Amino acid sequence: MISIKDLTFSYDRAESPQLTRVNLEFAAGEFVLVCGPTGSGKSTLLKAINGLAPHFTGGKLRGKITIDNQDVTGRLPHELAELVGYVNQQPEGWFVADTVQDELVYGLEQLGFDRERMAAELSRVTKMLGLQDLLDHPLSFLSGGQQQRVAIGAALAAGQRVLLLDEPTSALDVDAAAETVDLLKSLAKDHGVTILVAEHRFNNLLDKVDSVVVVNNDGTVEKGDAAWKFDEDLRQGLFNSDEQPERRQSISGDWALTASELTVSYADQVAVSKASLSIKAGEIVALQGANGSGKTSLLWAIQGTGNGSKAVSTGTVSVGSFGDPRDLKPRDRLKAITMVPQRAADLLFLNSLSEELSESDRFAEVSPNSTATIFAQLAGKVNPALHPRDLSSGQQLALVLALQLVKGANVLLLDEPTRGLDYVAKKHLASQLKSLGNQGKAILLATHDVEFVAQVADRELHLIEGVIQ
Amino acid sequence: MAEFSLKASRVQPGSWWLLGIASAIVAGLNVDPLALLAQIAILVTIILLAREYAPWSQSLKFYLALATFVVVVRVIFRILFNLPDGSTQIALTLPQLSLNLGFGGNVSLLGDVTASSLVAATTDGLRLAAIIVSIGLANTLANPRKLLKSTPAALYEIATAISVAINLAPQLIESLQRVRRASSLRGRSKGLGALAGTIVPVLEDTIDKSLSLAASMDSRGFGRRGILTKKLILSVRLISLASVVFTSVGVFVLLVGTGLQAAALGLLGAGFICILVTVRMTSKNSIRTRFKKETWLLQDFVVASVAIAAVSARLLGWQV
Repeated sequence: MISIKDLTFSYDRAESPQLTRVNLEFAAGEFVLVCGPTGSGKSTLLKAINGLAPHFTGGKLRGKITIDNQDVTGRLPHELAELVGYVNQQPEGWFVADTVQDELVYGLEQLGFDRERMAAELSRVTKMLGLQDLLDHPLSFLSGGQQQRVAIGAALAAGQRVLLLDEPTSALDVDAAAETVDLLKSLAKDHGVTILVAEHRFNNLLDKVDSVVVVNNDGTVEKGDAAWKFDEDLRQGLFNSDEQPERRQSISGDWALTASELTVSYADQVAVSKASLSIKAGEIVALQGANGSGKTSLLWAIQGTGNGSKAVSTGTVSVGSFGDPRDLKPRDRLKAITMVPQRAADLLFLNSLSEELSESDRFAEVSPNSTATIFAQLAGKVNPALHPRDLSSGQQLALVLALQLVKGANVLLLDEPTRGLDYVAKKHLASQLKSLGNQGKAILLATHDVEFVAQVADRELHLIEGVIQ
Repeated sequence: MAEFSLKASRVQPGSWWLLGIASAIVAGLNVDPLALLAQIAILVTIILLAREYAPWSQSLKFYLALATFVVVVRVIFRILFNLPDGSTQIALTLPQLSLNLGFGGNVSLLGDVTASSLVAATTDGLRLAAIIVSIGLANTLANPRKLLKSTPAALYEIATAISVAINLAPQLIESLQRVRRASSLRGRSKGLGALAGTIVPVLEDTIDKSLSLAASMDSRGFGRRGILTKKLILSVRLISLASVVFTSVGVFVLLVGTGLQAAALGLLGAGFICILVTVRMTSKNSIRTRFKKETWLLQDFVVASVAIAAVSARLLGWQV
């Protein structure tokens, strides 16, 4: 179905090519996992197949790509629209319409299907993806898993035989992720769609896919079946926690954080109802729950800044000797309890790593290089002249952690810290959090990443529809 | 058929724009400050009654803030660059400053401000404010995506650009709020400007979002077109040239205004017809189809006739 010959792709200012002499063949109905470390060119490989690379990303492509015996090298994405469907990382930013039905027919309208054929394709694709009951729903009201199904439906509406997905499960909770993987499996097996999935979280994919492509850091690729390579290499890397620091056996008896009867509401909607929790100094607690269960609202309420002016919280919170963080002045609050939000990069705004570090020292009124020392412990040696946007997601997270920790807070809240991290970066984060725990920090992390929770958490809390179970 | 409703989504976006533009025309011709205030009040009431939850419908307060700002600035400028208007009723006595800029003689600032000049300035400001709120009405009530669907194929690319831009404004506000919340988690030392922490992440976010939307549209076939014959291209060019000539001469004659209004209107009409013909002809190279037929319902006719009635009443010289 797809054949790639001698493909080399390099971005304009990059020193080495992102993909080097790639030769791959995919059969019709093959279900393929594409994996590799962050920044290794997994996405680029997918984008090269439908023309987004180089037409949207810039860069230079050499080699030859054929789909269904047509030479598609150098063709524009819209010229390939009925051959290849593409689903982006975040479906919500990829939607072009307001309702499910409008989203599904958008591609058909662009491709000039007449009304009768459109209706036929629409009913075929809604049946295939089980979207019959959702057709009139606004896209923004759907759950993450439903949005993902709509995005897949929209990509296959014109009868595309090839489906490319970039991290389709990374933003989904466990159940929705499993459901998406099963759906993809049946699309490949029962409908003969050739599917390529680029994904970090491949644990639940490994048993379902027909083959695996590994994109290495040097841009070369290898292909094999699912059992190949993984049992030894990557699974080891993923689950082996040899290098992880030993957790301190006894956790001291002091409560670093207590919250009781905490209720968070937005205008007419209750996000969290009567949540009570306590965390000891040195303890790592995972707050688990599906998307939309109120994890983020709860963290912002505990931290005291509040998630926007419309969020109202009642109940009590107490952080050691500081009392209720909501009553503290902003600057004092940050010294008592600190938080890393879902998009850590939102906290970065200066032009180089060194400027970020010294600004942080100034704000925290600590001696120069204090932040840099913490950052070096977390991330190792990094060129200080780099722009913060050029750091990897793992390094950005480490930087934000350092900025937040230097203020001296003993309670650390993290919202979905593993989003966008590959398995190496995740393992690294786990060991960072464990050593912070050993230093006596109380850590509350909201996440739906079960594997990560198993690696770090001393205790788990489950939030279901705003209620701690 | 569906029942009568004036909620934002039940009325065609075109009708909302018609109402907004009509209201802007009426405001532009209005000279009575009280009537302008009343008009703004009516517009705000319509927005509040008709709007539903949607990303683009949350911007009313920004339009109101902008409108207030315009009025205030207009009045301040009138007081600052004060020219005598012949009236003797002094409302405000301020010291007069005389500046010599080295050219054009002395410039005087401030001084005695007459009541009539203040009223005139306020009226000017209110007129602009009413126009801003009128456009605000169209923008908050009309769904930009639905509007896009009812544009002729030849204008589709331009309409898409406008619609993406309109969509971007509420998205900007959303990312601004998110980034400001995030930066309050970090704090900022005194040496840094207040904007430093927000502009970079917000711009990055906005650019990412628009690129992602563009990539999505392209991957699904946006930008495809059919083939135009050479003959057709040539005739389209000739007719559009003619439309430019007709409309510019028409506008010129109308503005010179020497009893040739009829001729001017004729020329403008001819120009308009030429424009319609070119749009019609170039729409042929589009291969795009539409799934749903958009039909005008009772509510659309009500909104549209209110708009047309208001403009005609104003043009015929009645007070509204």
